[in-house]
This record gives sequence, structure tokens and C-alpha cells, in this order.
Amino acid sequence: MHPLYGTTAVAGIGMCQYKRGSSPLPEQGVLAKAIRIACAEAGLDTADIDGFVSYGDDKNEPVRLMPTLGIKELKWSSSIWGGGGGGIAGAFGLAASAILSGQASAVIVFRALVEGASGRLSAAVMAHHLNDHMLAAGLVAPAQICAIRANRMYEHHAVPKQAAEELVRASYFHGARNPEAVAYDRSLDLDAMRNSRWIAEPFRLFDCSRENDGAAAFLMVSAERARDLNKQPVYLLGCANGAEKGWGDLLENDDEQLYPTTGFRPIARRLYAETGLSPADIDVVQLYENFSAQGVASLIDHGFCTYENVAEVVKFENLIAPTGKLPVNTGGGNFAQGFIHGIGTAYEAVKQLRGESANPVPDAKLCLLAGGPGAPTVSSAIFGREIP
Amino acid sequence: MTIYDGADAPYWNGLTEGRLVLPQCACGDWLWPAVSQCGTCGSENIQWLEQAMRGTIFSWTRTWHRFGFTENIDLPFISIVATVEGCGIRLLGRLDDPDQIDPVIGENIYGKIGATRVGERDIPTIIWRRG
Ligand SMILES: [Zn+2]
Repeated sequence: MHPLYGTTAVAGIGMCQYKRGSSPLPEQGVLAKAIRIACAEAGLDTADIDGFVSYGDDKNEPVRLMPTLGIKELKWSSSIWGGGGGGIAGAFGLAASAILSGQASAVIVFRALVEGASGRLSAAVMAHHLNDHMLAAGLVAPAQICAIRANRMYEHHAVPKQAAEELVRASYFHGARNPEAVAYDRSLDLDAMRNSRWIAEPFRLFDCSRENDGAAAFLMVSAERARDLNKQPVYLLGCANGAEKGWGDLLENDDEQLYPTTGFRPIARRLYAETGLSPADIDVVQLYENFSAQGVASLIDHGFCTYENVAEVVKFENLIAPTGKLPVNTGGGNFAQGFIHGIGTAYEAVKQLRGESANPVPDAKLCLLAGGPGAPTVSSAIFGREIP
Repeated sequence: MTIYDGADAPYWNGLTEGRLVLPQCACGDWLWPAVSQCGTCGSENIQWLEQAMRGTIFSWTRTWHRFGFTENIDLPFISIVATVEGCGIRLLGRLDDPDQIDPVIGENIYGKIGATRVGERDIPTIIWRRG
């Protein structure tokens, strides 16, 4: 069995989310608050945290959190490379690596984003990639880069655009029923969605995730230690991270077959091989959707459907809890739960497996977390309520 | 003016002089993004060869939202990924779109060197047209 299989677990979670520009605390304060909530849930003193992992160029260098959390000794601080959300699931694998190799024992996985401190996320993501080739072409935002890929997927690979709408609707359906979601208690106006203003074709406003302020934190410990803490453990069963030849920051010169994908094919291959699981075993998916088309492409990459049958699988009725066969983004996802660089998708993965989701999937045992699609480096993970 | 010092400096200097030049290794591989050494054969013998500004549309988007850094481009505008004829290298560029007709993947295009003003700089770029 692979060393990551069921050997570490999430023992506590905390999330604080606000409308963009309305955080009551500075970024570090919000983050520290989320970490305190996660540790309090687990019954672990924040002084005993000894490691941190983040992704996406988070600006909160862990050593600076020591005073406010009363941390005695920092033993591990690291981040997944890359400016986008591609590293979110990989961050859990990195935390597990620290724990399993004995280099740390109580590791916080986190992401914090408050506009005043970190600026606009889209701008920060692009600052990571921008060069004169892109500036000269007027391609300066993630929406545009993903739009170009989406057009090729729609036009050349004949993926129906309707699939993207079904996915957006499912996210808003769940968000409307989740008190922690930005879209809580609001129904999606289909006409308003379909006629919302163009951003970059084929994306209208409702095809794009919109940023929130906030932070989320996850306390990771060994599986054994998690069983002694207060909360039901949610086990990490597998995690894969990276890119294959012909994919990456290649000025759009990716391999022609990989171009309309979101980079997950090698990740999914490894994830399923290392866990012995397959798409049919997955009960619920938390899908990072920066843009609607990339969410659909991520589902294809992860083997839940193909270019040929995507229209039959990615249907609203099929994507919603509790009745759909492939419930996706049961918290509302980046579109409707909120967007703190995707960390809310991991939060919902844990809530769902604990049976605490606002949109519970009956008897959900396994949840796939798919990281930011289309990023040069991407990652995914599978979490389990038990170790099958 | 900008001094280009990356591996792709000959590309930028070429555009400034009115030519499209792209890098080919002695082994025959075209190397893009530009690198200093070929990843296939290890050679550092890389020739920058002039290419005709002809190609096809690989993909496209028409931008309607005013993103930062695009202030000097009239909205809406089309950005494309263009496959350069012969070498197969894909370049980012802009497509002239006077009548707002949706591009078609695979459509033939030809280019002329223009510039995009970003902040205080004029970045040389290929403006593509259909035909
Ligand atoms: Zn070579």
C-alpha cells in the first residue's frame, strides 16, 4: 500500500469568510482566527503546532504566526510552487510528507486572502506568469487564458457548452442551501446568468468565480493521533501533484491533445493507481472551478466522463445532493460557497465526510478534491471517512 | 526602450527590426518557449531562422472586460494563439476584428508587425488578419 494511504488525517478545520473588501481583521488576524478554530475543534493547543503548508504564493510566512499562536517550535514550513490554485490538494500531501517522515507532527494547511494585504487574487496569479508575450497579446488575466483553452475544448473537441451551465447551476443550488455560503438563501436567476455581461468569450460573468476575503486552516496529524483527538478524523487516502511532459508554462505550446485539458490526466492516473480506487468509488467531488469550462474539463480529466458522454453525466440533476449520482461542490464551490483561492472546496470535503455538510450526500465515504484546473502544476487528493 | 536579455531576446529584437525569427536546434526541433539548450539532444547549437508571418488560428478569445494592462487596446479585442506555418510554433498575438466576426479554429491568417502599448512601453507584436 502507498505510504500516504490512510496514514494521516485532518483533525480540525476552521474557516472565516467575508465579502471582498469587508474583512473585520487584517489578513494575519483572520488566518490566526481560522487556525484557532481548527485547533479548538480538535482539542489541540495552538502552542503545539509545529508545521505549516500553503500554496498559491500565500504571503503569510509561517514564522510570523508564532507570536500570535504561542507556538513553541517551528519545524516545517513549506509551500507548493505555483501562483494558481493548482497546489491546493498537493498541500495536504506535503503536510502528510512532513508528518510521515517525522519532521513535524501537527501541521496546519492554510490559505488566507484579504484584499488589502494580498491585493486582487487574479492580479497576483497573473503576476506569477506575466511576460511580454502575454502583455502584447492583451492576455493578462486568468479568465482570458482559461477562455482560450475553453474555446478550443468547445469548438475543436465538441464539448457542449450546456455542460458548463449545468455545473454552475449545481454550485448555486448547493450554495443557496449552505448557511456558510455567499449565495445562501438566494436563488439563481437563469436569465440573468445567461445574459450576464461578457468577460472574455466564451465566459460571461457567471462563468467566473469571484473573490472573497478570508482564511481557512486544516490541522493535519498522523492517523493514530487523530483518533485520540476530539473530532472524527477525515483520512487522507492519496494525493498527487505535478505535471507531465507537454504541459506547463509553455506559452500555449502544450501538446495538442493536452491543450484543452486541465493538466489532471497524469494526476488522476497516479491518484487512482496509488489508492486502488476508481472514479466509480468516489461518492462526492469537491471541484475547484475557477471558470465553468475548466470545471467540466477537470471532471473529464478525472475520468468521471469523456468528451463523448459529458452531456449525459454533467447534468444538473446528476450533480446535486442528495439524489444525484455524481454530487459536485456540495458546499456551493468557488462560484457560490465563496472563493478564498479554492480553500473552501477542501473545507467542504471534510464537512461532507464528517456528515456536517449543509447538503449531505447519503453515506458519503470517499471524497475527491480536485485542485485548481489548468494551472501549470496541478494536484488532487482523495479523502475518506474510513480507510477502505 | 526595453533591453531583452532572456533566451527569447532574438525574437524581440527581430520583431523590432521587422522580422519574425524563431529558434531551431541542430537536431531539427523547434524550441519554444525559447531555451538556451535543447532538451531533446542537449545541443546548444540553436539557429534563429526567419519565418513568414503566415499561419492558422489555434484558439481565440474576445475580451470585453477592461483588465488592468489592457488600457490602450480598444474593447472588445481578440487575442489568439496562432500556429506559425512551417515550424508549428504557437505564438500569442492579436487578431484584427473590425466586423466582430467570430474566428474559426484552423482559419488562415497573415500577420504584420505592430505594437501594444502597456504603461509607458510599446511592446512589438504581430497583429494578425484573416486571409
Ligand atoms: Zn536538439
